[in-house]
Amino acid sequence: MFIGAIGCEPLQLRRVNLENSRSIETYRKNGGYEALRKVLDRMSPDVVIGEVKKSALRGRGGAGFPTGMKWGFVPKDSPKPKYVVCNADESEPGTFKDRYLMERDPHMLIEGMLIAAYALGSKATYIYTRGEYRYLIEIMDRAIEEARAAGLAGDKILGTEFSCEIYTHTGAGAYICGEETALLNSLEGLRGHPRMKPPFPAVAGLYGCPTVVNNVETLTAVPDIIKMGGEAWQKLGTEKSGGTKVWSVSGHVNRPGVYELPMGYEDMEKFIMEDCGGIPNGRQLKAVIPGGSSVYIMPASDIVGKKVKMDYEGLVAAGSMVGSGGFIVMDDTVDIFESTKNLTEFYKHESCGWCTPCREGTDWLVKVFKRIARGEGRPDDAQLLLDIVDNIEGKSFCPLGDAASWPIQSAIKKFPEDFKRHLLPLTNGKESGKEGLPTI
Amino acid sequence: MPAELIKVTINGQEFETDKGARLIDVCREKGFAIPSFCYYADLALQASCRMCLVRIEKMPKLQTSCTITCTDGMIVTTESEEIEKAQRGMVEFLLANHPLDCPVCDRGGECELQEMVFDWGGLEERFTEKKNYAPEKFLSPIVANDPQRCILCKRCTRVCDEWMGEDAIEAGGRGSHTVIGTYGGWLNCSQCGNCIEVCPTGTLLDATYRHQTRPWELSRTISTCTFCSDGCQLSVGSRGGEVMRVVARDRYVNGLNGEFLCIKGRFAHPFVNHEERLRTPLIRYKKGGKLIPATWDEAIRYTAAKLRAVLDAHGGESVGVVGSPRLTNEANYALLKFAREVVGTNNYTATEAFSLVPFFENLGAPLATHKDIRHAKTILLIGGEPEELQPLTGRQIRQAVRNGGAKLVIINSVPIRLKHAASQFIQIRPGTEDAAVLALASKDDAGVAARKLNVEAGALEQVRQHLNDAQGDVIVMFGGELGAEAQSLLAQLSFTFGEKEGRRFLLHPLPLFNNSLGVHDLGLMGGALNPLEILDAAGAQLRAMYVAGSFLRTHLEGREDALSKLDFLVVQELFQTATTEHADVVFPAASFAEVDGTYTNNDGFVQRVRQSIPPIHQSKPDWMITAMLADALGTDFGFQMSSSAVFLELAKQIPAYEGLRYPLLKDESNPVQARHALVGQRDVSAQLVELRSLVEGIEETGETTTQTPPVGHELFKLGTLTSKVPQFHLLAAGNPEPESVLISPLYQITIDPALRDEAAVAGD
Amino acid sequence: MSQQFLPDNPLPQEVRVPDEMAVFSPEVEAEIDRHLAKYPLKRSAILPLMFIVQRERAGFLDPPGVAYLANRLGVRIMDIWEVATFYSMINTEPVGMYHLQICRTLSCKILGAGTITEHCTRRLGIKPGETTPDKIFSLSEVECLGSCGTAPMMQIGFDYYENLTTGKVDELIEKCRSGELSNGVR
Ligand SMILES: Cc1cc2nc3c(=O)[nH]c(=O)nc-3n(C[C@H](O)[C@H](O)[C@H](O)COP(=O)(O)O)c2cc1C
Ligand code: SF4
Ligand code: FES
Repeated sequence: MFIGAIGCEPLQLRRVNLENSRSIETYRKNGGYEALRKVLDRMSPDVVIGEVKKSALRGRGGAGFPTGMKWGFVPKDSPKPKYVVCNADESEPGTFKDRYLMERDPHMLIEGMLIAAYALGSKATYIYTRGEYRYLIEIMDRAIEEARAAGLAGDKILGTEFSCEIYTHTGAGAYICGEETALLNSLEGLRGHPRMKPPFPAVAGLYGCPTVVNNVETLTAVPDIIKMGGEAWQKLGTEKSGGTKVWSVSGHVNRPGVYELPMGYEDMEKFIMEDCGGIPNGRQLKAVIPGGSSVYIMPASDIVGKKVKMDYEGLVAAGSMVGSGGFIVMDDTVDIFESTKNLTEFYKHESCGWCTPCREGTDWLVKVFKRIARGEGRPDDAQLLLDIVDNIEGKSFCPLGDAASWPIQSAIKKFPEDFKRHLLPLTNGKESGKEGLPTI
Repeated sequence: MPAELIKVTINGQEFETDKGARLIDVCREKGFAIPSFCYYADLALQASCRMCLVRIEKMPKLQTSCTITCTDGMIVTTESEEIEKAQRGMVEFLLANHPLDCPVCDRGGECELQEMVFDWGGLEERFTEKKNYAPEKFLSPIVANDPQRCILCKRCTRVCDEWMGEDAIEAGGRGSHTVIGTYGGWLNCSQCGNCIEVCPTGTLLDATYRHQTRPWELSRTISTCTFCSDGCQLSVGSRGGEVMRVVARDRYVNGLNGEFLCIKGRFAHPFVNHEERLRTPLIRYKKGGKLIPATWDEAIRYTAAKLRAVLDAHGGESVGVVGSPRLTNEANYALLKFAREVVGTNNYTATEAFSLVPFFENLGAPLATHKDIRHAKTILLIGGEPEELQPLTGRQIRQAVRNGGAKLVIINSVPIRLKHAASQFIQIRPGTEDAAVLALASKDDAGVAARKLNVEAGALEQVRQHLNDAQGDVIVMFGGELGAEAQSLLAQLSFTFGEKEGRRFLLHPLPLFNNSLGVHDLGLMGGALNPLEILDAAGAQLRAMYVAGSFLRTHLEGREDALSKLDFLVVQELFQTATTEHADVVFPAASFAEVDGTYTNNDGFVQRVRQSIPPIHQSKPDWMITAMLADALGTDFGFQMSSSAVFLELAKQIPAYEGLRYPLLKDESNPVQARHALVGQRDVSAQLVELRSLVEGIEETGETTTQTPPVGHELFKLGTLTSKVPQFHLLAAGNPEPESVLISPLYQITIDPALRDEAAVAGD
Repeated sequence: MSQQFLPDNPLPQEVRVPDEMAVFSPEVEAEIDRHLAKYPLKRSAILPLMFIVQRERAGFLDPPGVAYLANRLGVRIMDIWEVATFYSMINTEPVGMYHLQICRTLSCKILGAGTITEHCTRRLGIKPGETTPDKIFSLSEVECLGSCGTAPMMQIGFDYYENLTTGKVDELIEKCRSGELSNGVR
């Protein structure tokens, strides 16, 4: 598996291929904790937030919300404790960048968290990691211990008045706990249902206190922003999407892996065909889901020769989204009906069950998909799927409902043949022994 | 503080409303029907059913009106094609896995889901897949559960947690596997059944009413609960002279309790039609003989003759008359009139557990209503156990703390469950409640009091400080532990603390019976003797006694023979009891479901009891029996067979009830409070001296318990009435879990008879 | 409860309210204390503690374990139940010694997760959601585990095994049988 940068100097992935990359020595030898030093010595919290604003860093967890703005929402005068929570729940299908960032360079995350904590006035921070990543929690725990021993975490960090604790916390198998408010519920020891917004976590989050929840990659970008200065970092990318982005590439490519690209990398086709080594076994590119399962699927025709720019604006223009950067490539052996069914089953399994449309809707969708897969598809099933999805989208309590809707909407729109094929009553009834199922 | 007024536009019409009002409430108030399942006033917001969607200008997507607070200039659309499509979509989702067999569902006919569909009509079923299936089962002897019908609005779990503080029922599982259930599949709680009440569908069902009848076959009568002194309003559903069920469903009743009832109110009604109800008058012609059925004519004639003989031989004071806090004001008034006008005796009383006469004599502040309790800012509870003995009060306290941020201070000898809601809990030595009052009433005595109470003096000082600093309503509640002096001082507490801007003292006594306040108001508790003294006088100064209801088991204990020493004992009752065992004549009385009348609750509300079925067998309302007996003794009460005539006369005689008439009492949502005379500031120094010496005499020996008594320790005890209900036997036996929850526990469990033997103390 | 163990339309398993409570060694108690120390509210430690109880008590939250948790966290049994049944990694019923969890989500699926599952089914004689009669193996299909770039994959206990082929699976199963492989529960 490849891990490295293309089209830019590696920032996030600067150390990942070094020997002993996890250790604090390697980290420090390669520019580590310089940003923290700089922040503690010379920058006020407001200046830090200002730099992050200038950097045009957008949240890498999926929603792409400007990070500086989010930090700015935290009330300064609140007497309550403030919390920084790192969202390392990474459960979006196709996404595995946070895993390698933590596995190979845990101190970068720690440094990012400490800078965030300093900027926001937080004395306790949590890393919420999905329960399956147990080994990562162990890596992080060891790194935190190292940092503490080096005076970089705990009381009076680097001899200054700034004190901050970093704790790891484990999830236990629930995709929805990646949603920031569900994550906070889970961190408080409750069922992982999302919370009502407003109030937003920045105002009332963990234990009702002001809280910032940021993705791993968002936080690991912070040390470089501080070191380079916000503006310089932004210039690596585009005006509205600053810096570099880490993509997780999987599926039918010769060289899957974790790729750091500058925001606005100019051509998705080139990325797939050259950087990722092209499609294996001489097959043709059929479709790409560029941003984790919760975004619109792109047919090859929307990519090949279209010079799709790989940043927030470029992907929206091309009919999809950056999402979490989970880049799934599918060749022409893949039946898009099957792949959509697979993802719908994922959403059904992961729906938290709180709200009606998502809970009942995903259950129904899966039942329809399964029936079609059994060969009992009816011609109007595609429309039924779209209707069900329409009743979920925009009406659910949290965005998971939307996330479950979009793959289906785009798949039926972009790959109608793959659905039609299943709906034609060709093999109908053969297996089940029921001839002549309704075809109209 | 009056809220700021703002303007909102709903469907093109402009309205004024309070800033911060909840949009769904405002729309409904203005006549726009917004459907909802999960929204429930005064419970935590849920916003999960997604039914209450509206369009608000400048907001992306449809919004849930249950979560939106109104802001000035908000423009709202509640009816449009887009909205109806969304709402229909939600119902379609809810119905997808819902068994569409309404005809066999107990909730059919009053199901909110069904109503929604009927309202719209024209719903096409597009869901043709196999439905998720889960079998029907029992969660307890009282709660049946059909999980398939659940729409996960979680009203039940919120009610259990927020109203009852029990959290016995919760959502488990995830996604489409979410189920409302309990750990171990068995419901261990106070079995209030409020989860059944608030369930909009047929998911949680009354196991005592299961498959008995259809809701539309029932005639519904709004009445008042006959158990504790909270006086919950309820709807008695009857069919063919039989009480089938009791609910508080808000579409039928709208009383002080909303949809709240406790286990007794909701499930203990089967005593009404119980086979052991007395059928005819009974006469014991010879001491030691048997009670033999007789006609009414014969029984009345016989009784009148016997009483006349005693009166002639020994005079009026030789006859004792005993009323009951379980009977209507009308019944008790008739008895009092009987005592005064027919017999001419001061030897009357009521079988009340404790007297509140000193409290009312010194009443310095108004009685609190249950609404006041919900909105109180400070609540002081001395003694008592409202969660078990006055469950509605218990709920109001919890809501006040939880939703209203009230401060709750508890002084109790037992770590009662409410302790968890309290901001200050002071555990005292048993039997020293009086000392706590002394400490509050007189700062100088705090040291002594603290020693007797076995608490830190600082803790008492803190309570004083709480009351001193309090803003808003301060509610002082007390149980039956307080003696006369302590009651008097507590009733005057508002003067001890003095007047302060923005603070108001309200009092809330916690007597045990449905009409405890009534017997006090009527003056029945002001007779020459109390229940114990009257028993002691039996056979000595008293030769005959006329008892309505029965003596409390606690009173009778150790005095079993007292009644047998009488020359003549008349009892009117529903059932054979320890008291009727000694009776020479027993009249079959009609139960609360069979009579018209009034009860006065601990708010001082005079509330209607309405006849829902004709009297069972040959029973008659208590007041009527008394009037018949008076007539036979030569006095015409002039009641003309009408309870309203009794009440009319009562209202003329009793100052606090002046001007009250049945027509004024007809709206249970606007209950009428009796006007208890406030006596203003009194000189209570004598009582203080008395109390001080009482407290000084308390021995410092009592052992405190650290055990919080379990849920139901009072509620599940078997009394005369509750022992007639099989489910209560199961609960009294510790709510045993049967082999299979698919078959009713009633068919599976035999109860250990030894467990039946603890008598209920409240309201039964 | 891990969903994979449920029939299509389950009820939560019925577990009796326990009358005994689990007891742990001082080392485990210390570990639990370390977790509790992280949070201002004890309840927050519910998931880490559930994993520990699960590890110490035969792989699932048995009634004594549940009683222990409620007591240690100062919450009600119902609080434990509602949380335990929400998270798919918390087991409320026994699982096999080696819990083979094969990712079934898209990236793994298109790179042959189906074949791996079928192979395991054939080798172990159990379908996903089942446990072998000797209680050695449980087989599950789980959702994306973040190994899409190294698909197909499976997790045994907490350990990742990636870039699987049927040959590698055979090797793993052999190592499980011989007890050579850690069951991945730490
Ligand atoms: C259903 C759902 C799942 C999510 N999962 C993740 C996740 O696994 N990791 C993550 O970082 N953000 C996830 N998010 C996004 C978070 O809600 C939140 O936007 C993010 O943690 C904010 O951090 P950022 O601003 O750094 O992106 C998810 C959101 C939704 C609605
Ligand atoms: S959309 Fe609703 S059911 Fe789905 S995950 Fe969000 S809150 Fe839960
Ligand atoms: S009432 Fe608003 S979502 Fe249920």
